[in-house]
Amino acid sequence: MNILETRGLYFDYHGLEVLFDINLQIEKGERHALIGPNGAGKTTLFNVIIGGLIPRRGHVIFKEHDITRATPHELFRHGIGRSFQITSTFTRQTPFQNIRSAILSKRGIRFNMWSLVDNLHDVTKETDDVLKRLNLYAERDFPASALSYGKNRSLEFGMAVASDPDLVMLDEPTAGMSRDETHAAVELIRTLTEGKTLVIIEHDMDVVFSLADRITVLHHGEILATGAPDDIKNNQQVKDAYLGETEV
Amino acid sequence: MNGKTRLLITWIIGIIIAIALPHFVGIVYTNVLVTFMMDATFALTINMLLGFTGLLTFGHAMFFGVGGYAAALALTHIPGFPLIGVIFFSAMAALLLGVLVAPLLARVTGTAFAMLTLAFGQLLYVICLKFREITGGEDGIAGYDTPPIHLGFVNIDITDPTNFYYFALVVLGLLTFFMWWLTKTPFGTVMIGVRDNALRVDYLGYRVKHTKAVVLIISGTVAGIVGGVYALFHNLVSTDGVLTIFVSFYPLMAAYIGGVASFFGPILGAAVLHILDELTSRYTERVDLVNGIVFILVVMYAPFGAVGIWWSIKARLFKKAN
Repeated sequence: MNILETRGLYFDYHGLEVLFDINLQIEKGERHALIGPNGAGKTTLFNVIIGGLIPRRGHVIFKEHDITRATPHELFRHGIGRSFQITSTFTRQTPFQNIRSAILSKRGIRFNMWSLVDNLHDVTKETDDVLKRLNLYAERDFPASALSYGKNRSLEFGMAVASDPDLVMLDEPTAGMSRDETHAAVELIRTLTEGKTLVIIEHDMDVVFSLADRITVLHHGEILATGAPDDIKNNQQVKDAYLGETEV
Repeated sequence: MNGKTRLLITWIIGIIIAIALPHFVGIVYTNVLVTFMMDATFALTINMLLGFTGLLTFGHAMFFGVGGYAAALALTHIPGFPLIGVIFFSAMAALLLGVLVAPLLARVTGTAFAMLTLAFGQLLYVICLKFREITGGEDGIAGYDTPPIHLGFVNIDITDPTNFYYFALVVLGLLTFFMWWLTKTPFGTVMIGVRDNALRVDYLGYRVKHTKAVVLIISGTVAGIVGGVYALFHNLVSTDGVLTIFVSFYPLMAAYIGGVASFFGPILGAAVLHILDELTSRYTERVDLVNGIVFILVVMYAPFGAVGIWWSIKARLFKKAN
């Protein structure tokens, strides 16, 4: 069953055509990577799906709902979590407070003006559990701005998955990381998205091939190929357009 | 002695001082204290927007003014209007104004928000200036009776300065406590989130516009009640007293001088401004000039205000101790 579908998406920036007839089908529970050379339209596609860009034609369907024009908070309530390419956390708050915001929203505690938030022990416990799984418990009460880059990326990823969404969308989660950090991040993503559907944009082919069940290659705004990692590796068109340059 | 008992003792001492104060300082300074408390509470309502939700407003006087006018009009036209009714009336008038303007204001951010609040504030100022039949124009509304507090069989006359001080202390103290409580609730964490990163808050499933509108309405309603207390205290409500742009700017200055990053900063800022007023007016009439210079210095050299200075001193002492 498809959890996420795009049907005939066209998008242009004031006349500059970026996406042509994108028909993407993401199956429930799979880990799907979007790859392609710079300027292929990966980030644009990502933003048309969940980032507030409205396509010229076509629809985005999530769990049989049309989410083409959905606002961010509606996407969250449908069960979609996202991370940002450029870390976008609450830097003046602690990791605990960052994650707690996601937990509160997940539980629908949004306009509660009568209970002290520190006295909501269930919320505190659940937040601590998430922090432990993210390996951020030791940094629980530091300001996020004082954390290392890698830890901040973990927090960024954590805010996408803390609310236990059905679909997790990650925009270059390992960008700017060292080799070791990347390995740790891949393991983290693998364990925390267990049983969820994952869509990931990534440049690092090691990450893509170790994480993805299926891969879609974008080239000049069109889908060049979709398939299992091995099929993509051996696809002549993909080699010519993209992979050939990097020797996989 | 742990932190909690120390905090409790500090609060008890503070309350005892607040209760004893009017018996030591005389009538004039009792009245100064009342103005200070009103300014401080008004500055706190602005800091709910500025320091906690990241919204700079230039028109908060509209809520304060509407609360004041509502109180004055009720006392003028309805004979025997009770005190609790005055407070309620001020709150409802400001709430109504909030419900009217919040849907529009919540849609915009940053400079546009500041300019739109300025526009609404000035609009209300001009309307009240021109509707002479109702508002008395420049002269305002004056000479209404101040109702006493009914406590079963005794009536407490609040035209007596000391009694009014206690009345203001209780009302404004409760409002301050309410605002402080709000910052500690889940809703308070959403406010801070909107300040720090509104886009992320949206992707976490919160409605940013609704949140901003609700904060605006609450802040405005509290400001309206402070306006009602003002009307009771001065026995005069005029456009120059409650609706001019200076009424909006004064609490902003207090918030910045005290420190927008902390909840109690604006109270400290209001205290600094009042002490400054008191000292400079002994030597010169150019009180606003001195206030302005202090404001510029604070913005340039201490962006987190007096509280920020205290924090950096504490940080330095802490470093030395280690």
